[in-house]
Amino acid sequence: MSEQIREQVSAFLDGELPDTETELLLKRLTRDGELRESFGRYALIGEALRGAGSQILTRGFASRVNLAIDGEPAQAPAHAQLRREARWWRPIAGVTVAAGVAAVAIVALQQRSISPRLSGATTTAQNVAAPLRAAAPTQLPLQGGGGPREALSYTVVPAASTEAPSAIAPARLTNYVFAHSKYSSGLGQRGLLTDLLIDDDEVPPIPAQRAMPPPPAPDTRVAP
Amino acid sequence: MTQPRLALAYWLVPCALVGALLSTVPQSARGADDPRVWLQRMNKALATRNYDGTFFHISGGRVETMRIVHRVRSGRVTERLQSLDGSGREFVRANDELTCYLPDQHTVLVEPRQDRGPFLGSLPQFDATVSDFYRIEALPDTHILGRPTRVIAVNPKDQFRFGYRLWLDEKTAMPLKTQLCDSRGQVIEQIFFARLDMPESIPDSDLAPTVHTDGMRWVRQGASADNASAALAAYRASQLPPGFRLTVQGAQTIGGATAPASHLVYSDGLATVSVFIEQSSSDSGAPSALDPQAQAPEAPMQGLARVGSGYAFSTVVQGHQVTAVGEVPAQTVEFIAHSVKISSGAEIPHH
Repeated sequence: MSEQIREQVSAFLDGELPDTETELLLKRLTRDGELRESFGRYALIGEALRGAGSQILTRGFASRVNLAIDGEPAQAPAHAQLRREARWWRPIAGVTVAAGVAAVAIVALQQRSISPRLSGATTTAQNVAAPLRAAAPTQLPLQGGGGPREALSYTVVPAASTEAPSAIAPARLTNYVFAHSKYSSGLGQRGLLTDLLIDDDEVPPIPAQRAMPPPPAPDTRVAP
Repeated sequence: MTQPRLALAYWLVPCALVGALLSTVPQSARGADDPRVWLQRMNKALATRNYDGTFFHISGGRVETMRIVHRVRSGRVTERLQSLDGSGREFVRANDELTCYLPDQHTVLVEPRQDRGPFLGSLPQFDATVSDFYRIEALPDTHILGRPTRVIAVNPKDQFRFGYRLWLDEKTAMPLKTQLCDSRGQVIEQIFFARLDMPESIPDSDLAPTVHTDGMRWVRQGASADNASAALAAYRASQLPPGFRLTVQGAQTIGGATAPASHLVYSDGLATVSVFIEQSSSDSGAPSALDPQAQAPEAPMQGLARVGSGYAFSTVVQGHQVTAVGEVPAQTVEFIAHSVKISSGAEIPHH
């Protein structure tokens, strides 16, 4: 990216690029995938500089993680943990990660420390065709019956997995999202629909250590 | 373009004058500055104006360029949302139908839609209930596309819902930039207009899909006239995150399924979560609408997936497939899905 383009992108993200130049930049961006990637990185950096924090949830990141650890078995955690750990679904063995098949963007999940306490499987479905296995499904300990109650705090205790369930197939996810979106009258509907327009393909690289915490199982490592 | 785009100078001069005048007025006297009033203006503009814009959808460092065309003519809304550089997918809403062209899937998905909300989204009226869980505030004004812009933040008060930041054109109240944020203010996703025209009229040709549908498979899904089986309809979320309540209960055909699923909608007034309760896929044997060749998986679905700016979580409850989907944090869909169980005597708001 030339210095001039860099300055244009920067000015655009700051809302300071004149109309005529914005038009030119837009034309370039729509036909130049490389420039779009740079633009995306700039947008991330811009948000970080503005103090809003950068967004770490990254479409397609699961693919890269799985490629890095392909072939290593998943392990269920030995005990419940108070802090939420990131885990993910992945092929049982040696399955090539297919890109570009997903109708719905499915991504890796960042490790989150949240309150109320929640520990359990944070999983990522990311391969349509392959049989997938859970590290550990979660269960909510519930009390009593009757109508719904508002929970003020809760804990999710990981349960031992005795089966090998499938992840949600992307095509099926698309159907769920469409069915849901008509009740989603807020800006959320826009978010859901625009994302359905996006193919989960050609993901720009994001440093792994920034996007994903180390996996919980000792024998699975994210390649640097 | 049917109209020349709004020129920079056209905006700057009058708005600078207005800004100078307003700056002399005490804050308390400026009812028009109430961020809620601005949200109402935005909703009205999104729903009632003609617009044709190109925007960037930025998520996780990835940028997609999209075009939105929205036309209101004789009270009828026609709308087209198109990916310009990605999948080639397009959504068109017209005549109370949402048609989704998915050329990469060789599929056209059609669903009846009576909803009037624009593709770009709007925010509901903020009543007292919503205010319990979101804080609305005006942030310092700025410029987007050279236009004076109001900045409104809708901040979630806990981690069970997302918030928004909106940059609204001072003149038209159109959102020139929108950010989806988590409860810590971190940006999850943003859209950023690079061009926004608001023409008096938009020709039909700008609303026609550009996808060639030869050889594509057409799939219809939608709310089912048949009720879900009593076994499925008896399930409810037994626990909910603060502020969420059941707003809709009905039946929904998912893709090419043979039997309708029970469809529950929970909302806090702004965010919504759908819960689908189905016969376990190994029982129904229903193939996916988008993948008819694939047989339904033998094993039940289980897991969390990101769906756009929201999440889906699927689990199995007493042999039934339970899937929660919504534009909410992962923990919210997980929480709700895990709490689903048979409920006796639940109140049932119908479609």
